[in-house]
Amino acid sequence: MLEIKKLSFAYKEEKIINDLDLYIKMNEFIAIIGPNGSGKSTLIKNLSNIIKPDKGSIYLDYKNLNDLSAQDLAKKLSVVPQNTNVDFDFTVYDLIMMGRNPYQNRWGKITDNDREVVIEAMKLTDTFQFKDRRLMNLSGGEKQRVIIARALAQEPEVLLLDEPTSSLDINYQGEIFDLLSYLNNKKNITIIIVSHDLNLASQYCNKLLLLNNGEIYSIGNPDEVLTKKNIKDVYNAEVSIKENMISGRPYVVLIPNKHKFDKKNKADINLHLICGGGSAQNIINKLYNLNINITAGVLNQGDSDWQLLKSYGYEVAEVEPFAYIEEEDLNYNSKLIEKANIILVADLPFGYGNVNNLKQLLNYEDKEIYLYAKRSIEDRDYTNGKAKSIWFRLIKRDNVSAFQEIDNLIEEVKSKYNL
Amino acid sequence: MGNKKTYLIFLFSLILLFLIFLLALMIGSTPIPIRTTIDSLFSFDSELTRFSVIIRQIRLPRVILSFLVGSALAIAGAVFQGIIRNPMVDPYIVGISAGAGTAATIAIIFNMTWSLFYFNTIPLFAFIGAIITVVLVYNISKVGNKIPVMNFLLAGVAIGFILDAIRSFLMVTGTNDMQQVVFWLMGSLAGTSWRDIRIVLPYYFIGLIPILLYIKDLNIILLGEDNAQTLGVEVEKVKKTLITSATLITAAVVSVSGSIGFIGLVMPHMARMLIGPDHRKLIPFAAILGGIFLMVSDMLARSLMPPLEIPVGIITAIAGGPYFIYLLRKNKSGGW
Repeated sequence: MLEIKKLSFAYKEEKIINDLDLYIKMNEFIAIIGPNGSGKSTLIKNLSNIIKPDKGSIYLDYKNLNDLSAQDLAKKLSVVPQNTNVDFDFTVYDLIMMGRNPYQNRWGKITDNDREVVIEAMKLTDTFQFKDRRLMNLSGGEKQRVIIARALAQEPEVLLLDEPTSSLDINYQGEIFDLLSYLNNKKNITIIIVSHDLNLASQYCNKLLLLNNGEIYSIGNPDEVLTKKNIKDVYNAEVSIKENMISGRPYVVLIPNKHKFDKKNKADINLHLICGGGSAQNIINKLYNLNINITAGVLNQGDSDWQLLKSYGYEVAEVEPFAYIEEEDLNYNSKLIEKANIILVADLPFGYGNVNNLKQLLNYEDKEIYLYAKRSIEDRDYTNGKAKSIWFRLIKRDNVSAFQEIDNLIEEVKSKYNL
Repeated sequence: MGNKKTYLIFLFSLILLFLIFLLALMIGSTPIPIRTTIDSLFSFDSELTRFSVIIRQIRLPRVILSFLVGSALAIAGAVFQGIIRNPMVDPYIVGISAGAGTAATIAIIFNMTWSLFYFNTIPLFAFIGAIITVVLVYNISKVGNKIPVMNFLLAGVAIGFILDAIRSFLMVTGTNDMQQVVFWLMGSLAGTSWRDIRIVLPYYFIGLIPILLYIKDLNIILLGEDNAQTLGVEVEKVKKTLITSATLITAAVVSVSGSIGFIGLVMPHMARMLIGPDHRKLIPFAAILGGIFLMVSDMLARSLMPPLEIPVGIITAIAGGPYFIYLLRKNKSGGW
């Protein structure tokens, strides 16, 4: 077990780690996540005794790290660093053998046991095949495996890794995490890994530690740590949390914010969209590229249009799944509509549940309304003509125009508003 | 690097060392035949002939000293290159030659060249100057309890410039004959006696022992200091010990030979290309190469333009400089 008590560390005046307490049980597979500068690497360096804490102490198996010699510590804990380049002409075998350093005598006499351990480490990491090659001639994933083999040759109880996959292709990332998972399960090695990849961490680790400003912001299983709120608070990023279908673990999707650096247009023009049932997927994507403010409603939660709008981060008037749209929902929706310069109605089917969305538009005689009618209103009216009659009342008005082709509609909007 | 190849390289270099050793004894302003050379080396009870006096009292100490100086510079160079993890480093980078040179200049210019017991004061001054400089560089570059490599290098270069400026100033304003100073600065083994060997040898061995004790740790430091720490090496302790030891042997040889350039830079490099980066082989091999190289250079220095002696530092620079440029061009792609 690894225990951190009131750890503080500062570079010059800048505090990196602040009064941190942590208890890590043996045989855990824990990922340290957090934004740049949150103290992840510094924590790893403290744990590996490369730097010493300013305050507080770290205990490995009840022994203070300060009381352990580098050699004794190296027998229990090994480290895979971020940068794995070795500029020297050592063979892969020689490099992995260096993992036996803490067990060897002063001149590095190699024993039979050393050889066995090194071969075992090479087999585990699938590096035996290039044992006579030079590290600099290997690919990124192969290099990383060699360094992990070296760490395993130390026969550690705890393996610390500092972003071992950050420069690797996706197949190598999976390979490294699969290997770590195996080492954790079958060899009972405690694994502590710093990772930038929230989804890999979520998928493989049974515990996550979210650091922020040198303090533990959240710790627990992936479901507890990877929440929309935590990530907004710590990373200041808008994400949507889904479920990874394969592992059942949370899956973080970043919501793109293309307009972040171009706020001028966005503030000027507001468009309200009436849609639902997936009728507007294509339209939403096209509108997104126009860089304008979009609102929508009223939509049922879970509706596919609702999902897409939400993932873009747009404001949506919404009701529970399958619920009828009530008066108060419409009031909220009308607030959104009043802010809009343009109202766009997709060619969605109307039933008794959502026909009020259409009816509401009758209240706006001076707002620009565009009706998209690829499918005729008769084909999608499930209200015994109610929707149809509203539709025809709307279409007679001066402020309303209908389009057969969505591209023409978008072009019209673009030319009218100089987009 | 296969073991068999390593043995062959060592065997070959030792044979070469022996042949050069004999050749260096034979060649000089008075050439001596090989038979006579071997006889005067090994038959101690024979009468002292003119040849055996030249061999034993003049050439033998000089050849042995050239081996000691060459090997010491190569060893120290390999150690500094390893600690600093940079092949462009030589033992003088930390200000040793500047310190020794300035102190020697002071001794010469202010006529402090009396003899103390059997110690001539110039080597003594040079030695003290070198040690003081490194202690200074060491303390300037120290941050807390650590010696960051970059600080160490830059402090060495900066102090070196200051000392060279002082030395130049002394040379310009001094009234004494400058030839002695210039000769010293270029490096020379002229006038070597057994006394010089007695001066150098104790420091040579005192410096060598810690280097041999930490020779494996030096390999691991090549992986970077943080990595070495997590592989069980007490990096700061090893670094301090090795810097001190390498300084000691360099200061000792510089004090008797003057600053002979390029050996500490080029020989470890060449050895690394031939035998690989493992210091357990690299350091002994670099020592043999450095010794051979200086023996040959000194042989040329005293026999190319008799009776004039060329300062051996000129020979090593002329031979070493182009080789180094060749290395740079060849190894542009990195990896050393």
